[in-house]
Amino acid sequence: MIRRRDQIRLSLQKIGLRKKRAVFSIISVALGVIVVVTVNSLMRGVRDLIIRTGYTEEIDQDIIRVSVDHRHDESPSRKRKQFVTDELLAKFRGWKEVEAVAANINVQPLNVDALAESPRASSRGYTTGVPEALIRRYADAKQLAACGNAIPLVLGERFVKLRYNEKTKKFDLEDPARVQAWLGREVTLRVGDPMAQLERFRFDYEKKQWHRLSEEEIAQRRKSIESSESNEFDKLIHGRTLTLKARVVGFCPGTRLLLPEEPARLCAKWLKQRDALARLRPVETETEYERYGRRTPREGEYTMAIVLLKTGTNPEPVVKRLKDMGFEATTRQNAFESFLKEVDAAMKIVKRIAYAFGGVLLLLACGLLWSTTSRIVSDSRVDIGLFRALGATKSDVRRLFLTETVFLGELGTLAGIFLGWTAAYWISRLVLHIAAGEISDPEGMLMIPRTIFAVDWATCALLLAGAAGVSLLAGLWPANRAANIDPVKALKRE
Amino acid sequence: MIQLHNVSVTYRLKSESVEALRNASLGLAEGSFVAIMGPSGSGKTTLIQVIAGLLTPTAGDVIVSGQNLRQLDDRAISEFRNRAIGFVFQFFNLPSYYTALDNVALPLVFAGMSEAERRERARALLDEFGLADRAIHKPEQLSGGEAQRVAIARALVNNPKIILADEPTGNLDRDTGAHVMELLQKINRERGVTILLVTHDEKAAAYAQQTLRIEKGAFA
Repeated sequence: MIRRRDQIRLSLQKIGLRKKRAVFSIISVALGVIVVVTVNSLMRGVRDLIIRTGYTEEIDQDIIRVSVDHRHDESPSRKRKQFVTDELLAKFRGWKEVEAVAANINVQPLNVDALAESPRASSRGYTTGVPEALIRRYADAKQLAACGNAIPLVLGERFVKLRYNEKTKKFDLEDPARVQAWLGREVTLRVGDPMAQLERFRFDYEKKQWHRLSEEEIAQRRKSIESSESNEFDKLIHGRTLTLKARVVGFCPGTRLLLPEEPARLCAKWLKQRDALARLRPVETETEYERYGRRTPREGEYTMAIVLLKTGTNPEPVVKRLKDMGFEATTRQNAFESFLKEVDAAMKIVKRIAYAFGGVLLLLACGLLWSTTSRIVSDSRVDIGLFRALGATKSDVRRLFLTETVFLGELGTLAGIFLGWTAAYWISRLVLHIAAGEISDPEGMLMIPRTIFAVDWATCALLLAGAAGVSLLAGLWPANRAANIDPVKALKRE
Repeated sequence: MIQLHNVSVTYRLKSESVEALRNASLGLAEGSFVAIMGPSGSGKTTLIQVIAGLLTPTAGDVIVSGQNLRQLDDRAISEFRNRAIGFVFQFFNLPSYYTALDNVALPLVFAGMSEAERRERARALLDEFGLADRAIHKPEQLSGGEAQRVAIARALVNNPKIILADEPTGNLDRDTGAHVMELLQKINRERGVTILLVTHDEKAAAYAQQTLRIEKGAFA
């Protein structure tokens, strides 16, 4: 019985007889594997990224997102569209499971240059509340130059470590102790209980993922929200009280970085600017939506709200109650899971196409493996006869050639896996590089990872096992032929 | 040592039936050196193949070292060949991708011996045959005589009881052939290995203790 090590060595020597064919076989196997591994690594990477950056935050069961049920628009027989009102917010607040309630007003980042030409179109999505008023004033009065090329806008407060690099047109990370930057980005103003702002997660920009805060940190955040409530910057927007998560700062065109300034001074500046703008033209009560004949939210009405439940409360009864009231209500977890399902379904289609293509390539590779082994068997007739004469059993000879085919298949698979990873890595880098150029929100850019490539070990193991199986199948016939070669005939060359 | 009882080997060549051996019977004692002579196609090589268990006779029994080869399966007969038989071929049959040392050690690979032990035994034999300095040479770098000595060393490496030599001098010049025959004779005398030599060459046959003639598949 040949030792395994010798068997491998003998097999490699046989492969050496047909180096070119062997290389072609390895390449053909690798090609099929590359397709599968590249697509799989990218898909897995995207999924991981979604989970890493979104899921941790979204699993917060205690937050229920409430929104207007848009299906009411489509069917007149349904209940009339119901907005979230201050009265309803008060009602939600009275439920025993609820800790805090707030209505949302979304503010999208704006490109001020584009705004001058087309105020509505350039605002990217709907903009309501304060920015709506400001946009209108700006668009109508074009008085921005007087304000030093800065539009007063409510912005998110972000203590990120960034500095805008003029040369690279990118934001570079800086020492957090020295740089405290203010960025223009999408923010959400919350009208209602300040505690509804309570977030239990923090995004780690280094690791590109969310972390759940410790109890101490959450307690600190509670304190911070409480103290900020007593120190509001502006209570006059739309004539109602707002608890601002964000602070008011000057905002340069093109979502550029702003130098940090003392917040109170900035607020005073903004209030002055706002008053100046308000004097130019008073705010019209009619909203743009009404021009299209749709019922739009008025003052004291909101399309979205957040209901923060007490920790550990089962959200389902509250969700059901809200749905019964005619709202769309979903926990963040449900929303995320349904989103993930959609992503998975899309990925499944892409994967199936890639696997089918890879499968065809592997089938061709299988044929080439068969042909290579057959040729090596033909070339080795005399050696096979000699081996048999020197004591090799039929089974030794069979295993010799099967080892050879499996070796070629596995080598091709390993090469394919490695090259597939490399391809996925560079493709993801390239895609992210292109995507980074399209992102105007600097904080959004920070959230972009270096790569979305991820290693799927299970698929690699499956591919290696599959390659071994397919190679065995491809090598079975030639190996049997080798085992059954008559040593007498093989040695009779004279 | 080797006993053949009414051994016949018949095979078909196209539509014709050819009798390579006809009721051949033979008895060789342990340690004997026998030459088989005969014209081409007389059945000399077939006889060797039958004794080595490479060819199963159509009729009759082949008993080698007390074992009836007909009763052995592939694994047992391969093991028997590996353990009890050494081959020397006319064209040496040394795989070109192996060194002389690896070629000599080849039967030990099929015996499942460790590499260190294989190398030690092969090196000792090459030393004995004056080929120590050729150990790492490939077959194409060896002369005919050296190649055949390597082949003889390979036949001996497993300490077999029988060496089957099929025209070992057929591919060598006269002097080299004589040296090879002297080597075989020495092996027979000093190691007591039974040697069955198939040859056309009367001079080579003269080294044997006994010469048997075979014609049309039967001993004359």
